This record gives sequence, structure tokens and C-alpha cells, in this order.
Amino acid sequence: MTASKLPLPCQLILDGPETGGWQMAVDEALLEAAADNEIAYLRFYGWSEPTLSLGYFQPYRDRERHAASRDCPLVRRQTGGGAILHDRELTYCLTVPLAHPLAADTTRLYEAVHGALVDVLAGFGCVAQINRGPVAAMSEEPFLCFQRRAPLDVLSGSAKICGSAQRRRRGAVLQHGSLLLAASSHAPQLPGLVELTNQELSPRSLAQSWQAAIAGRLQLRLEPAELGETARRRARLLVRERYGSQAWNQRR
Amino acid sequence: MQPQDLLYAKTHEWVHVETDGGSKIATIGISHFALEALTDLVFLELPEVGRQVKAGDSFGEVESVKAVSDLYSPVTGEVVEVNAALPDQLGQLTDDPYGAGWIAKIKISDEAELQNLLAYADYEKQCAEEGH
Repeated sequence: MTASKLPLPCQLILDGPETGGWQMAVDEALLEAAADNEIAYLRFYGWSEPTLSLGYFQPYRDRERHAASRDCPLVRRQTGGGAILHDRELTYCLTVPLAHPLAADTTRLYEAVHGALVDVLAGFGCVAQINRGPVAAMSEEPFLCFQRRAPLDVLSGSAKICGSAQRRRRGAVLQHGSLLLAASSHAPQLPGLVELTNQELSPRSLAQSWQAAIAGRLQLRLEPAELGETARRRARLLVRERYGSQAWNQRR
Repeated sequence: MQPQDLLYAKTHEWVHVETDGGSKIATIGISHFALEALTDLVFLELPEVGRQVKAGDSFGEVESVKAVSDLYSPVTGEVVEVNAALPDQLGQLTDDPYGAGWIAKIKISDEAELQNLLAYADYEKQCAEEGH
């Protein structure tokens, strides 16, 4: 594998709210595109309705552990970690060829994207920091990702405000994550930036600053783009065969 | 098994080939280099015994630090045995990756594909390039 030449071209895609199945399908299509085209993709998006996503290895029956989200639609992610209630949040997806120098191991991409967010939040007057604490033992782990604490999570005080997860395949890595903007009525125990900092930041402004900071840390050359037809076709297929199917979402 | 005696896929799986009653059986595991990069494993999914796999197919998955990674079969053939205790004893994978941490055994159906695998020296070179 030849190391990527930097700065690496990166298509920047700003998408609106859509269903969980569609968003997970597009993320996977962009993972494949990064491997095939040897460029990066950075996408920001929202959710058309409050949706619970399960980590790849989480049992479906565990959703019963969280009553407040029981009526929300559910989608299983390709990535690890715990369940997330996606509602009042800004979600990002970054896919990078494995030949990129920061893609070789799991932690450097988390560090780059989360470090960029801490810098951006500081610019908005919000103090946040990277979690340097240890990994919690699995037997003690709560169902919701945002009640867990993993190294390199972004914290505001002791509250987790951004966490990410990855899927690593031959040729490319997908990392996506959520920044909690405000608490959801479907996960009221998790505060967002509004509750923690008394600031209501617009997702658009945050995405604009965050994308520039990510590009700086990863040496990406951002090129504004729409989701291409190839990725769109692939995503439609993935919704039908995977993310929109009970067989996938309840597979464990 | 010694790492110097094994063959390697570019995707970091190691292969040890033995002859058993006229069949070639490949024992497969994950290299020490890859395990160091993964760190803190929490889940491992093994292939099913009896499954037919092609070289390069994903045949298992592992999760560490919220990252799910595919494991790729280095050979084409039938999965004849898996290390069924391993998902509950993931420490073995990191403590003894070339012994007790083996993943699966595959009855090889296309021996010529072994030529596509890397010898130890070439694999080390690849790791050095990736690790810079």
C-alpha cells in the first residue's frame, strides 16, 4: 500500500435529515467509495425522526433496557460501541483510504476529529476536553454510548458530548459520530450543549467550523459536492438489503 | 509456531499450512502487528464450520475501541474447524497470537493462491511502511 499523497482530495457533502436506514446506507456507500476512488469523504447530516442506533455487536433485545426510546425506529450500525439515540444532534461521517497516514490505527482518527471539535467549541466559547481516562470494563457498560466513557471521547465537564465509532475494511476506514446539541425527550438523561453551556449553536455554523478544522488536522483538500449517483444507487440497495431489513437490524 | 515460519496476507492474517491425509489445511490467525494496532478487543465473531470461503472474503469480525474490523480469509476452501473458545477468551488472541490465539482452519481448495501470500520478511517490510 502506497501512502496517500497529502493534501488528500475530500468530497464535502452537507446533507439534510433522513431516516436512520438511509443515513447508515450512505455512510457505508461512502466507505466503499473511499476504498475504490482513493479519496476521502466528509459528510454532515441529521435525522428525520428520533432514531435509536445499535452498535454492530449489540443484541437487539437490549433496547428493552432503555424505555424512553422504545417507540423510536431502530437501525443497526456497521460500527462498534453502544446504542445512540439520534435526535437533537449533529452527525458526521468521515471515510478515509487506509493509505492515509492517520488511518493506520484506530486512535489517531478519533484524536484528529475530536481534537478538531474541541478547538471549534473553544471558538464558540464552550469548554470541552478529550477524555484521557481508561476503558470501562464491558460488564459495567451501560446500554447507551453516551453513558459510557471511552478514551478520546469529547467531554464537557463530566458529560460526554461527542463520541465516534469506526468500521475498518480493506482499503478504507469509516468513522462516524454524534455531537449532542440538546437533550432529547427520548433520552432525557443525556444533556447536550444547550443544557451544559446555555448556548444554542446552529448545526450549520458548527459544521462549517468543524469541517475546516478536520481538514487542517488530516491534511484534506475539501471539495464541496453532492452525493454522487453511484453512491446513491449503492445506498438504495443497502437500505433494501440491510439497513431497512429486520434480518439485519435484529440479527443479534 | 514461529512468526518467521508463516505466510501473511496483506490484510494481516497469518497462515500455517499442514498436510492432513492428502489435504492441505491452513491454520489462520491475526498477526501481532495487527493486534497491537487493534488494542483492547471486546468482541470476535468466527466463521461457521462448513462455510465455503474465497481468498479475500470477509470471514470474521473483531471489535476494539468501538472499531469493527473485518477479518479476511487468505485462502479459498472450506472452514473445517474454528477456535470456538476464543471469543470468550480474547486475551489468548493478544497473549499468544501464533498459538492459542488461532482463529480457524480451512481446507484449501486452490493451493496456487498460496503464492499470493507474503513471506515474513516481505510482511515485516509492509508493516514498517504502514507504521511510519
